[in-house]
Amino acid sequence: MEGASYARMPRVKIRELKDDYAKFELRDTDASIANALRRVMIAEVPTIAIDLVEIEVNSSVLNDEFIAHRLGLIPLTSERAMSMRFSRDCDACDGDGQCEFCSVEFHLRVKCMTDQTLDVSSKDLYSSDPSVVPVDFSDPASSDSSESRGVIIVKLRRGQELRLRAIARKGIGKDHAKWSPAATVTFMYEPEIHINEDLMETLTLEEKREWVDSSPTRVFEIDPVTQQVMVVDAEAYSYDDEVLKKAEAMGKPGLVEIIARQDSFIFTVESTGAIKTSQLVLNAIEILKQKLDAVRLSEDTVEADDQFGELGAHMRGG
Amino acid sequence: MVVKPGSVPDFEALRELFKHHIESFDHMVDAGLDTAIRHIKAVECRQAKISYTGKLTIDVCFQYNDGPVIRETLNFGQFPIMLQSKLCNLRGADPKKLVSYKEEASEMGGYFVLNGLERVIRLLIMPKRNYPTSMVRNSFSERREGYTDKAVVIRCVRADQSSLSIRLYYLRNGSARLGFWLRGREYLLPVGIVLKALIKTSDREIYVKLTSCYNEKYAKGKGVVGTQLVGERAKIILDELRDLSLFTQDQCLEYIGEHFQPIMPELKQASYSIEKLEDWLQKGRRLIMDEIDKKSQKFDISDIAQVKKIMDKNSSKQVSAAVENMLKTGRLVTQTGLDLQQRAGYTVQAERLNFLRFISHFRSVHRGASFAGLRTTTVRKLLPESWGFLCPVHTPDGEPCGLLNHLTRTCRITSFFDSQGKIKDYFKIKKSIEDILKEVGMTPSVPNTPLPGPPEALTVLLDGCVIGCIASSEVEKVVAYIRELKVSSASVIPDDMEVGYVPLSMGGAYPGLYLSTSPSRFVRPVKNISIPSNGNENIELIGPFEQVFMEIRCLDGGDGGRKSSFPATHEEIHPTEMLSVVANLTPWSDHNQSPRNMYQCQMAKQTMAFSSQTIQHRADQKLYHLQTPQTPIVRTSTYSKYNIDEFPTGTNAIVAVLAYTGYDMEDAMILNKSSVERGMFHGQIYQTETIDLTEQSRKSDQSSRMFRKSNVEKSAHPSIDSDGLPHVGQMIRPDEPYCSIYNEVTSSTHTFKRKGSEAVYVDYVAVDVKNSKQLQKVNIRFRHPRNPVIGDKFSSRHGQKGVCSQLWPDVDMPFSGNTGMRPDLIINPHAFPSRMTIAMLLESVAAKGGSLRGEFVDATPFRSSVKKDDEGSDSKSGSLVDDLGLILKEKGFNYHGLEVLYSGVYGTELTCEIFIGPVYYQRLRHMVSDKFQVRSTGTIDQVTRQPIKGRKRGGGIRFGEMERDSLLAHGAAYLLHDRLHTCSDYHIADVCSLCGSMLTTTFIEPQKRPVRQIGGLPPGRTAKKVTCHACQTSRGMETVAMPYVFRYLAAELAAMNIKMTLKLTDGAEVGA
Repeated sequence: MEGASYARMPRVKIRELKDDYAKFELRDTDASIANALRRVMIAEVPTIAIDLVEIEVNSSVLNDEFIAHRLGLIPLTSERAMSMRFSRDCDACDGDGQCEFCSVEFHLRVKCMTDQTLDVSSKDLYSSDPSVVPVDFSDPASSDSSESRGVIIVKLRRGQELRLRAIARKGIGKDHAKWSPAATVTFMYEPEIHINEDLMETLTLEEKREWVDSSPTRVFEIDPVTQQVMVVDAEAYSYDDEVLKKAEAMGKPGLVEIIARQDSFIFTVESTGAIKTSQLVLNAIEILKQKLDAVRLSEDTVEADDQFGELGAHMRGG
Repeated sequence: MVVKPGSVPDFEALRELFKHHIESFDHMVDAGLDTAIRHIKAVECRQAKISYTGKLTIDVCFQYNDGPVIRETLNFGQFPIMLQSKLCNLRGADPKKLVSYKEEASEMGGYFVLNGLERVIRLLIMPKRNYPTSMVRNSFSERREGYTDKAVVIRCVRADQSSLSIRLYYLRNGSARLGFWLRGREYLLPVGIVLKALIKTSDREIYVKLTSCYNEKYAKGKGVVGTQLVGERAKIILDELRDLSLFTQDQCLEYIGEHFQPIMPELKQASYSIEKLEDWLQKGRRLIMDEIDKKSQKFDISDIAQVKKIMDKNSSKQVSAAVENMLKTGRLVTQTGLDLQQRAGYTVQAERLNFLRFISHFRSVHRGASFAGLRTTTVRKLLPESWGFLCPVHTPDGEPCGLLNHLTRTCRITSFFDSQGKIKDYFKIKKSIEDILKEVGMTPSVPNTPLPGPPEALTVLLDGCVIGCIASSEVEKVVAYIRELKVSSASVIPDDMEVGYVPLSMGGAYPGLYLSTSPSRFVRPVKNISIPSNGNENIELIGPFEQVFMEIRCLDGGDGGRKSSFPATHEEIHPTEMLSVVANLTPWSDHNQSPRNMYQCQMAKQTMAFSSQTIQHRADQKLYHLQTPQTPIVRTSTYSKYNIDEFPTGTNAIVAVLAYTGYDMEDAMILNKSSVERGMFHGQIYQTETIDLTEQSRKSDQSSRMFRKSNVEKSAHPSIDSDGLPHVGQMIRPDEPYCSIYNEVTSSTHTFKRKGSEAVYVDYVAVDVKNSKQLQKVNIRFRHPRNPVIGDKFSSRHGQKGVCSQLWPDVDMPFSGNTGMRPDLIINPHAFPSRMTIAMLLESVAAKGGSLRGEFVDATPFRSSVKKDDEGSDSKSGSLVDDLGLILKEKGFNYHGLEVLYSGVYGTELTCEIFIGPVYYQRLRHMVSDKFQVRSTGTIDQVTRQPIKGRKRGGGIRFGEMERDSLLAHGAAYLLHDRLHTCSDYHIADVCSLCGSMLTTTFIEPQKRPVRQIGGLPPGRTAKKVTCHACQTSRGMETVAMPYVFRYLAAELAAMNIKMTLKLTDGAEVGA
């Protein structure tokens, strides 16, 4: 590749990382990459979810489809998902979901024998693969494990029974929301806030307080000592322009200048529990790479080059 | 109100709404029916498609010539029983017990189960009973020569609730005629004869009484009702009698008797009858009496056995059958007419499409079918009388607008039962009222002595009878006193008595004090502020007649639009009481443009909601069910009062108001695909097929038919079990059989196939084993999964409906940078400016605040009007918007509910802030799956060879004249030709150019088949030989393309001896 490379070297700084929650900064890139990452995390990182349910007995109050739908939405631990095959292009089986490469079998056999209502939950699902099990939401901090019963599927009264076989498969959120590993992925542009100190000083304390309070989020604060307005939490700013409008209304336009930085983003990722957030981000990057590779490697790229000219060149990393 | 799990919610408020139906039935039962309860459960009736009935037995008493009374109990057949009535075995059952009976925990009853269908009796509005109304109608003057267009009409109702309308026509010569209807004929009598015949009196007395309403002394003051003309007219009436030389009572009676002799028996008949609004069920009683009447006329033999035999012959069961039939069809078969305006439409099916629709059936009032055809709109208008009784919002728009009304939330109907549920003793009530009135200075009326008329004294009428008069100076005090008694001591004066005090006025209504205690009147509670009270002790029930003359203050503290101060004696309890139950559920309806609230009332009744909690035990034809209902975050106080949470109707969807992708234009809305996949608005339709072998077959082979799978083709239908019924949970595709019947005699099987275009699941199979050893009746319930698809209809609670235009991928939806929230639903901002549904915006803001705080938000309308009452409780700023905005601000959101969203596709900030928040959305029952119509080729009409119409038969949609016009306007001639000809009834006809006929052409089969075959090729198609039958030649045969109907037309014309000839020319010549 000749010519100047426009490739940038994005940087990631992790601020907070938990199994189901992550917050990180993504710098030195632009909105397209940030959004691509978001979109991939929501819709294209594969997980495993129940896809096929064979009901043997169902005398519960919920109908078969309802239960099947609920089963599908139960998050399953999907660390293995990246290495699994989609059942549609699995060579080892003819797609009926029996093989180890593309599917996991679950069994559920519950019958209520007592007068008390029995909660059938995700804990009652028995997996054929110990690495793919319903996500345990019980808080590890609290020792009381009997408390958590997992995701409730249905409640049974005396004599009611539920017996079924379910097959979980690999899939992506694009096909069905149940395969989406992310509860929420969002990013915001990092705000840059400059207070015009000179103009600010023309305000009385009362006015300052009024101005600070005009923001619904706590972005600014008045220093109790110096009585100066300062930025406490720039990221709390939600680009709602409230303070700008307020400044205008007070007859002091330009009191504060807020710029959304076009090259740094603050990401918030929440996982459903299927994949740890750290893994989710890594998987997303991996898939993004694969997708780009698919564009680059496909044989007709050269032909496409003629068609798309610059775009093609750009895609090849120009 | 949040109901704790396990605790039993209180359904009393809800029950109250259905009370009038049940009370009326109870009265009917009390008033002479003796029905034994059959121990059958209502659920079983619904399932088995039979009627919920009880055995009706009647004690017939015989007495011959003062001999001893002989009682005979007779069986009168199976009489329909109203659910939750005195005879119903659900009466008094608590929710737990009701559930054990497989009924709704909140089962309110008030309807009948007939052939498995639930039917309600419609409420009807009738003229006020025993109250004269003057009318001007052009039709009156056409009655006979000399009649004017004026008349006074009174609907007289007796204690047994039978009624008769009597008209007093005013004649051009000043006299009057009394008209009454008998057997569909009107009879007219000079009024003087009636006056004289009724009582022994003299001409003078009549004159004085007639003219008592006018006194020359007062000339033209306030409250003067007559003129000196009254005297003249009275004279004319009396002169008329003199001309007929009728002077005494006996003479008059004789005169009437002479003329009415032939119709006397009918006169008798007319006395058995019926009632007004809901109570007219008493028809049963009328029929019974009819029945008895007939018998006693035919035979008067003192032998009981013989009488009984005759009675048996005169099948007594038909009484119950008649009632049941009436309830089933809503049609009233009667000779007398029962003084009712219409013959049909008395009952309607109580559909359980959703709970709100169900309630509305019980709370709806119809103005009468006769008004529906009326051109004038006057009958549809909202009158001051109906304020607080009929809901101004809850009426359909379009044809039945204003005719089909709904009772307000608090409106009740008086019945034979008092507030404690005890039967009222009208004689006692009358006595005590009279005593009290005498105490306070009423001059009781005595026959033959005239009472002074207005303005010096006001006549007092109790249920239409003159009982005395009160000096007009005293009357206000008396009225106030009676009202006080009404509230404080219901034992003396019934609490639902209407004190219709019409004050003296200039040219207003005829003054007087009209008291009514009768049943079947509307009443509603208001506060009587002249009685000091700190609780609910001053609640008075008022009627529509009196309220027009009362000073009732609204809670907003306004002066009622008058210049002087408001001398209020009463006060409304809450402004929302003027709305019906359904209208009450619209949050902040006072912030909406009024037609939108009307639309919402309509739409609330067609939402696909959680229709029943006993869905497992129901066998309705069609039942809509929402799988994942939610309780609204923003709700009115009525919502919790009537436990609507038991039957929720929608989902709190995160709604963003923006124009995104263009797929939300023109009331379309974009649903988030992932939200739908996670279960939003999922639902299903339950549909039950009943297969009754006894019904379908002729009597001969009844026993030979049974449910069984064919032995021959065992493997053919895997969906059918060996018993001929499908497996539960089985999916059945269109045109697949689901049930098989085997006929032993013919040893043939018949299978029932699924129609329609979608696969369904067998939800449940119920068999009826009660009646015979062999299985004869089966209910098969199918489940149609109905998850949202493009084209399904949704609406908010503010008359904002829309159609889903796309299921948009989650990642492409705009998202909030802070919270990552993506909307479930996107609507277009253009839905708001012209419709002005501000409450929807308020709901969005409020629900956002509510969900952030984890609280429900009270959205009872008219908050600002009521607030003054309990000041200081929650008045932060006063304005509703401020309250809601501050909550949002507190929680770090924009005050106005706006948020910065980022494009889901590009990741860039959208150029303006987006209004986003949760709004309670309902899914309407109109779904594309039931409506789509598509056809390429298919069945054609046999006669015209044009495509048929009708969705069910795979027909097309008519490409009509207007569509044709528009294509013409576009000059799209080819398309037009394609649609109307090529794709329709394209036909090539043979026409004889010699005679021009296309009907005389006939094919001639080639005599000998040409045997030559060239090299194994199929024989070349020999040209069909066509000849003209008329010309006997095939010389002039031409082919012409034409619509087939043209040939049909020619044939039809030929049938009428009209010949049609075609002149054929070459196309080129035409151009020349």
